Amino acid sequence: MSAAGLERPQVVSHVQQALSYTVFDCKWVPRSARLLCLGSAARGTGLVQLYELHGARLELLREIEKPKPIKCGTFGATSLQQRYLATGDFDGNLNIWNLEAPEIPVYSVKGHKEIINSIDGVGGLGIGEGAPEIVTGSRDGTVKVWDPRQNDSPVANMEPVQGESKRDCWTVAFGNAYNQEERVVCAGYDNGDIKLFDLKTMSLRWETNIKNGVCSVEFDRKDINMNKLVATSLEGKFHVFDMRTQHPTKGFASVSEKAQKSTIWQVRHLPQNRDIFMTSGGSGSLHLWKYEYPAQRSKKDSEGSEMGVAGSLSLLQNVTLSTQPISCLDWSPDKKGLCVCGAFDQTVRVLIVTKLNKI
Amino acid sequence: MPLWLREHSWRQTLSAVYLSLPLRGARATPGSIFCSERYLKVSVPPFLFEAVLFAPIDDTNSTAKIGDGNIFFTLYKKEPAMWDSLTLANTDKEQLQYLRENAVLKAQEKAKEETKARKITKQEHKKYALEATMKLEEAERKRIEDLKEKERQKVAKELELWKNQQKDGDTYKSIQKEEELYQEIEPLKERKNEKMNKTQIPNEGTSKTRFKSTKGCSCSIFSQNLKEEQLPAPRAAATIKVNFTPRVFPTALRESRVAEEEEWLHKQAEARRIMNSDLSELEDLKEEEKNPDWLKDKGNKMFAMGDYLGAVNAYNLAVRLNSSLPLLYLNRAACHLKLRNLHKAIEDSSKALELLTPPVPDNEKARVKAHVRRGTAFCQLELYTEGLQDYEAALKIDPRNEDIEKDAEKIRHLIQGTMQSS
Repeated sequence: MSAAGLERPQVVSHVQQALSYTVFDCKWVPRSARLLCLGSAARGTGLVQLYELHGARLELLREIEKPKPIKCGTFGATSLQQRYLATGDFDGNLNIWNLEAPEIPVYSVKGHKEIINSIDGVGGLGIGEGAPEIVTGSRDGTVKVWDPRQNDSPVANMEPVQGESKRDCWTVAFGNAYNQEERVVCAGYDNGDIKLFDLKTMSLRWETNIKNGVCSVEFDRKDINMNKLVATSLEGKFHVFDMRTQHPTKGFASVSEKAQKSTIWQVRHLPQNRDIFMTSGGSGSLHLWKYEYPAQRSKKDSEGSEMGVAGSLSLLQNVTLSTQPISCLDWSPDKKGLCVCGAFDQTVRVLIVTKLNKI
Repeated sequence: MPLWLREHSWRQTLSAVYLSLPLRGARATPGSIFCSERYLKVSVPPFLFEAVLFAPIDDTNSTAKIGDGNIFFTLYKKEPAMWDSLTLANTDKEQLQYLRENAVLKAQEKAKEETKARKITKQEHKKYALEATMKLEEAERKRIEDLKEKERQKVAKELELWKNQQKDGDTYKSIQKEEELYQEIEPLKERKNEKMNKTQIPNEGTSKTRFKSTKGCSCSIFSQNLKEEQLPAPRAAATIKVNFTPRVFPTALRESRVAEEEEWLHKQAEARRIMNSDLSELEDLKEEEKNPDWLKDKGNKMFAMGDYLGAVNAYNLAVRLNSSLPLLYLNRAACHLKLRNLHKAIEDSSKALELLTPPVPDNEKARVKAHVRRGTAFCQLELYTEGLQDYEAALKIDPRNEDIEKDAEKIRHLIQGTMQSS
């Protein structure tokens, strides 16, 4: 290994914690060195564990047990002072918890008939503008947007047409929330559909199909005019769409990469640099990517309408941490390069990615 | 007979003998010199020179220089002593022979030992080289490991620093916030009492537990109210309907019908092979009449010509021969419909449907036909609801068939008509 190789960002495994349950999601608590692990215990109940980073180990601060296994959680829609956790569980319930008083949820609704696969929040944590909202995507094929101030019914509901056979929604993400009115929800389904819903006009803005089931979608930033969208899928492929220019028929320009031979479970952008993101794969590996913009981001096609130009991707680093899929990944919003990932081998790992300043 | 070379000249010192041998124009090579402890031979055909030396010499160190039509030997004596002469005098033939043989043997042994020694040294060298490379690689690896360790430690230290910063920052912020909020609480309380406050305040009763670096509770509720007035109202609820891309082949493997298709193919293959052995009655039949496929074709032809009874007979025989071909039942059902044997038609269509499981794209057409025929039979028996059920099933399999659509509509009207009149 040459010296030049050591100049690339390194993924250093800082702490490894074995858990006694299956972890489905892990999230940093904003403005702290604490992280949450959400999952399902062997006896079929949900677990939320709060850990704090102490030197080279994780110290368990709190453990909360809930009747149903928890699949996903987000801090995206709460204020920095409250830091309430919104979770979706296996039964289709959306709950918002105050972690200091977790016996009764602050907000609770049985949003879906089946498991909530994915959840995202926007408008909180001092990021972006507009009302805090939570979006959930479920196996029952619907995507619903909730406002914590409105009980029982969603403020937006994207459901299949009557009589249409439903497809599982596997992932949801908010984007384009740069002012109080604009908001967009992107949903990925198991048949490869990606749909972009505009919440301001309450309509479907764009859809496409990438042939393989979509495991994870994320905008590079939720609170800016939508810039890039990464969608990962089964069979090791992921696509990066340039969202600045929408062509009337061709949609958004994209570049795709086939990296790992297995499913790419998650993609997460670095909060401090929106062109760097990490993908986690079914073979237990993590890949760190950098997107490079093309010389011109849009060009005119033969009829004179604008169409986008996709850039290029370069692999900065890859590392294999586990033999089981790494199903969840989260960057710390406070410390650049600090991230946590949870895998199906029942371990959660805190990693540090070095030299990100030099990219 | 070789020619003996006798014009040699020699001189000696205490420890060495110098022998010069002119070759008379012949060319000598290193191979032509044979030397052992006591015996020296030079054979350059046709010339030959041999000498049984006076005293033993050290043949490994002795040298021979070939050049200028001359060989110059430098022989080192084993024992430093002055020789009376170069060769031993009074050597008879036998002794000579014996000495020669001995010399040859000795030379051979020496050669063997030399090769052995060489092999051993070679192996040692190899081992040494291997160890050296291993050490080098180890060193390299260690160096990289050390670099990584250093990175790790550096990063861990940074993390600790950052964490402590966070804690301090948080406690500082919380103190500040509380001061600010206490100042704001007073006017807020007044505002609250003025307005009709609909929103419920949870957590009012909870104690002010300070959990490490999060803020106190009751203050935050007020701050939340303050913020709420700056936020837009919740969105007006709306629904967006979506359509999904229809999945054309290939489907996701987890949904593929491969297993069912295999089953269907297997069943078909089996069915064709079964022959109901009821041979006693069938002995007087012709060979071709024992073939269910031929009988089926016959039946089809008769149906086309309008001879429905004949067709039924053909199908009956075919069924007796092979009772698991669904198409036979299907066609017989059509015949019965024409003959208005409605119950039999229903039976046959049902049997056909039974045999047409598992439902795969392969037997779609057959299933549609079966449903349609059964539906027709039901309707003719005035069992309209069952008929409609069958028509709808047919539609589900083949949504694009307009005839079925029209018939289904007609039946629906009929049902509504009867319901109104009853």
